Amino acid sequence: METSKSLPLITKITKYTLIDEVQQRSFVILFVFCAICVFLIRGCYQGNYMVNGQALDAGTIVRTLSKATFHVIGAGVMVIAALLSMRIFRRDRNEGMQSCILSKPIARWHYVMGKALGLWVVSALFMFILHSIVFLITSINLKVFMPEYLVASLLCSINLLFVVIAVLLLSLLMPDIVAFLCVLGIGVVGFVADGIAAASQSQIAQAMLQQPTGHPQSDLTWWKVVYVLWPKLLGVQQLASSLIESGASRGFGTIYPLINVLVYCLILGALLFKRFRNEDIV
Amino acid sequence: MIELKNVTKQYESITAVDDVSFSVQPGEYFALLGPNGAGKTTIVKMLLDFTRPTSGSLSLNGIPSTQAECRQSIGYLAENNHIPPSLSGWQYLLRCAELLDINRSEAADHCRRIVELIGMQGRENTKVGTYSKGMVQRFGLGAALMGDPKLLILDEPTSGLDPIGIREIRQLLESLKGNGMTIFLNSHLLSEVEKICDTAAIINRGKLLVKDTISAIVKDGETLEDVFVRLVKG
Repeated sequence: METSKSLPLITKITKYTLIDEVQQRSFVILFVFCAICVFLIRGCYQGNYMVNGQALDAGTIVRTLSKATFHVIGAGVMVIAALLSMRIFRRDRNEGMQSCILSKPIARWHYVMGKALGLWVVSALFMFILHSIVFLITSINLKVFMPEYLVASLLCSINLLFVVIAVLLLSLLMPDIVAFLCVLGIGVVGFVADGIAAASQSQIAQAMLQQPTGHPQSDLTWWKVVYVLWPKLLGVQQLASSLIESGASRGFGTIYPLINVLVYCLILGALLFKRFRNEDIV
Repeated sequence: MIELKNVTKQYESITAVDDVSFSVQPGEYFALLGPNGAGKTTIVKMLLDFTRPTSGSLSLNGIPSTQAECRQSIGYLAENNHIPPSLSGWQYLLRCAELLDINRSEAADHCRRIVELIGMQGRENTKVGTYSKGMVQRFGLGAALMGDPKLLILDEPTSGLDPIGIREIRQLLESLKGNGMTIFLNSHLLSEVEKICDTAAIINRGKLLVKDTISAIVKDGETLEDVFVRLVKG
């Protein structure tokens, strides 16, 4: 089908997905709860923080706290995106929308792409609004403007695309809750592995690694390959949060995590289209 | 309009449809009859590409059923039709119109006409969650009629309806007869089929037993029900 015909169809399905999600009562409650939680952190900015007996300046406090909040929101919305995605095909099937849409001159890939984009937009907007609350608190209450905070939020939404596609694919292969837990597991393992990798960079860990361990060298290499190829969700968050750092001297850091997650999105997206093409519509 | 050539569908060891071939001509009111589990719904699903045949081919207007373009002028009403309860009947019809690429101003006109046709004026703006099964079925039929389709595929359209609802659906289908629309009807209700349809096919355990005009299938002194029971029971 021509692109000129495909694009409006995908846009319509994306719009319906977005509207349907936003109209869910559970979504509204979740959103209000998260917004209140983020709003409550404004109190944390007003304390006097001492490090090694020296008081931290307001700018450092704002950036450090905002960066921590950025990571918490980023990780939290990934869980929310997985929750929203895990039931989308089942709900559409049960409510008759899947057969209604696919009985029209609409190809299956239009439907899947519309659904995935709709969920991505919903969760990215969810995250962007929560990040915007932090941005507004720092801008209005503390007079610290961090427009890069919002740019970082947009960059971080790549992670949400990965989560949405992965859950949609797995929900076609296994029960919804298992699909959700699998993707959650991928995220947690990645976060823990990145944490261990960061800790292993310390001098103590370096010294320990140089001790003879008895493990064959090939094992270490194998785990390194797995570690490097594992979805770099935390890496993308760190890359995004590097934008928030004061001064541009640190740069963007490595862009490998971004490429890693984008490649995963493409591979999982292709598998999702292939799997859904063979799916029986009930 | 519709053509099935040596269509077989197997689900693991079960053969749901076994080497079925028939065609339906434009303007024909066609009924596909068979007991539960005969393979009627499987044939409908294959026509709409909801499931793929194990072997054989299906086409609509000469276009293979696997291509989305073949569903350009098709209306479909599913067995046990569902509509998202968060939508109103009007919103549902509007979505269906938009998905058929009918522009917004025309879509509203289409929806208004269809609401009138299905006799749901005054209820179109309430949530589907408050509708009875019959009302959901009517809106489903309304959605199937959106965009004036050339072919209407109805899978048990009177399923779950009371006698009055069944009669109203029948009258609605009869009123469409002059429009040159082709109707593919899956039904258990033989008396309704006898009143509405011109041609019928009877299948049992996936095999096509007969396909002809109703008048040719029903001999003197028999009803369609008599023929159905005779053929199905062997």
